[in-house]
Amino acid sequence: MAGTATSSRRRNPVAPYAMVLPALVYLGIFFLVPLWSLLRTSLSRNGGSVFLPTLEFDWAWSNYGDAFSDYRDQIVRSFGYALAATLICLVLAYPLAYVIAFKAGRWRNVVLGLVILPFFVTFLVRTLAWRIILSDDGWVVSVFDAVGLLPDEGRLLSTSWAVVGGLVYNFLPFMVLPLYVSLEKVDPRLMEAAADLYSSTWRGFRKVVLPLTMPGVLAGSLLVFIPSSGDFVNAQYLGGTQTTMIGNVIERQFLVVHDYPTAAALSFVLMAIILVATLAYTRALGTEDLV
Amino acid sequence: MPDRPKRLVVPSRRVPDLSRRRFLGRGAAGMAAASILGPGFLAACGGDDDESTEEGGGGAEQNENALRVSNWPFYISETFVADFEEASGLSVDYREDFNDNEEWFARVRESLEANQDIGADLVIPTDFMVGRLIGLEWLEELDDANIPNKGNLREDLLASTIDDGRRYSLPYMSGMVGLAYNRAATGRDITSVEDLWDPAFAGRVTLFSDAQDGLGMIMLANGDDPADGDIEAIQRAADVVAEQRDAGQIRRFTGNDYADDLAAGNVVVAQAYSGDIVQLAADNPDLAFVVPEGGGTTFVDSMIIPITTRNKAGAEAWMDYVYDKANYAQLISYIQYVPVLSDITEELEAIDPESAANPLINPPPDILDRLSTFPAFDDEEDAAIAALYADVTAE
Repeated sequence: MAGTATSSRRRNPVAPYAMVLPALVYLGIFFLVPLWSLLRTSLSRNGGSVFLPTLEFDWAWSNYGDAFSDYRDQIVRSFGYALAATLICLVLAYPLAYVIAFKAGRWRNVVLGLVILPFFVTFLVRTLAWRIILSDDGWVVSVFDAVGLLPDEGRLLSTSWAVVGGLVYNFLPFMVLPLYVSLEKVDPRLMEAAADLYSSTWRGFRKVVLPLTMPGVLAGSLLVFIPSSGDFVNAQYLGGTQTTMIGNVIERQFLVVHDYPTAAALSFVLMAIILVATLAYTRALGTEDLV
Repeated sequence: MPDRPKRLVVPSRRVPDLSRRRFLGRGAAGMAAASILGPGFLAACGGDDDESTEEGGGGAEQNENALRVSNWPFYISETFVADFEEASGLSVDYREDFNDNEEWFARVRESLEANQDIGADLVIPTDFMVGRLIGLEWLEELDDANIPNKGNLREDLLASTIDDGRRYSLPYMSGMVGLAYNRAATGRDITSVEDLWDPAFAGRVTLFSDAQDGLGMIMLANGDDPADGDIEAIQRAADVVAEQRDAGQIRRFTGNDYADDLAAGNVVVAQAYSGDIVQLAADNPDLAFVVPEGGGTTFVDSMIIPITTRNKAGAEAWMDYVYDKANYAQLISYIQYVPVLSDITEELEAIDPESAANPLINPPPDILDRLSTFPAFDDEEDAAIAALYADVTAE
């Protein structure tokens, strides 16, 4: 396909470049320039006065060491929460996407619409709504209490459970949609063929469907894991005093403490860990396509 | 499993009742939303978006017929602006676009540094921010001849460590930081900071994340006076908080969103601002506010004129109008915070006897005696205090 497309358009070799130019310019201005500035900040020292800080570039690598050692707990916690949220999303979303792709029939678009429906309400309002749902005197806490699942603190709000729950809730559609797209592309006749060859349903799924939808699993996982690990809204509104994530620390360093170098270094530590985790995960799944 | 208190009635008039202090919490929330939704949301939050009708030029250009006031949301009475316009003949562009001191500072810093218009001739930040602005020489000196009513200001606020003699700023409203509790849930009266650490309330107590508002009363309970501005005493208070946090006593560190948890019954004792509780208690009589036995702190929001103002005389006329006792009683009746003018009881009684009799609005001397205020800190100290408490609240 790719070969024929190129040969038929050989006459205008500039066109592809012209087409990516707007995106490149956009990324150059709104991604690379801020990234460069953040990198410089992370290697600078605070100078000048506190409220009109001047940053002095100084190859201050110690910012990184300090950021990592001072906030190791929050870094570990953030990735723990993000990993938990990603796994829970995967377990919840896969069967849902499977049903939408193969069983929903004429209801398919309706169900897909329902998955996207929460996006019509602001992220923040939805998160704040959970504060009401999970309140100490609410029925959710009563039900958890009755079945003996209530955490030791005797509440749900302001615990790790609520933070991970909030992450799962807010990012679930990002898992469902890529999974649906890759499941929808699977030819049902392949499953029939597997059945014809005396494969059990489970074995057919494991050997045929699952490998074909790995790109969806990968894309969905990344779309949930990456924003979850940097999130601070859920920890802020659903968490307590011992559930702070790295995003909360960065926010506070930037806006309250005005320590820009530390905040910038933390941002890069976060980015580096996400990058390494993403590469490792991509290699482990053995796929380079994202859907 | 400790017995859970009965669910509180959530105030139904929540939104119109949103006070300026409680709105602060929404400021933080708005910022969170903005970071997710992108710059478009910020623009939408900016209130009336008629910037395009303004000249974009520098601060030198004057306009003697118009006055631009930037205030906190829900921090004025309904007819005040119209009344002032009629009395002064000025046309007022009144905006409720001041949500958070630090956020505002970040927004106007570069403009003020370059002496460019910030779109407002009069702004009402909190006193710690006023001190910072004076230090940066970004405020106009007030001409007392234009503000004859300045004499109505409370003596204790005139002799401010932030701005002695109030040469650059005039207080607008004051309030108390104390403890709010739900008597039905606590089963007893709360009187001191010690009560915050009662094991019966484990996980149902909130403290302010702001260093001064959060630590002031704890310092007083330790026998230290915030007015001394001793960093080691502040650290001692922060250590107490860290210990209680590790013991699981503290549920959250809050901005002004503490009121939601309190109203919902998730929290039974919270550090709180007096004006909020006056309003919440109107819907829920079980809620009470107390200045702890050891003492509490006060905050003051003050009117200032940035050096980039286009109508200094107009801004001073506004200040004078606010400082008229009858006008000010109208404001207090609506906003429900503590007056900054000396004795307006008579004027308040005439229009709103209920508020005049409320000790949270008109505090008796024995409460006022228990209140303390942090001194003006220099930049380094201010930053050190914010950092040491951020270490406790961001664990």
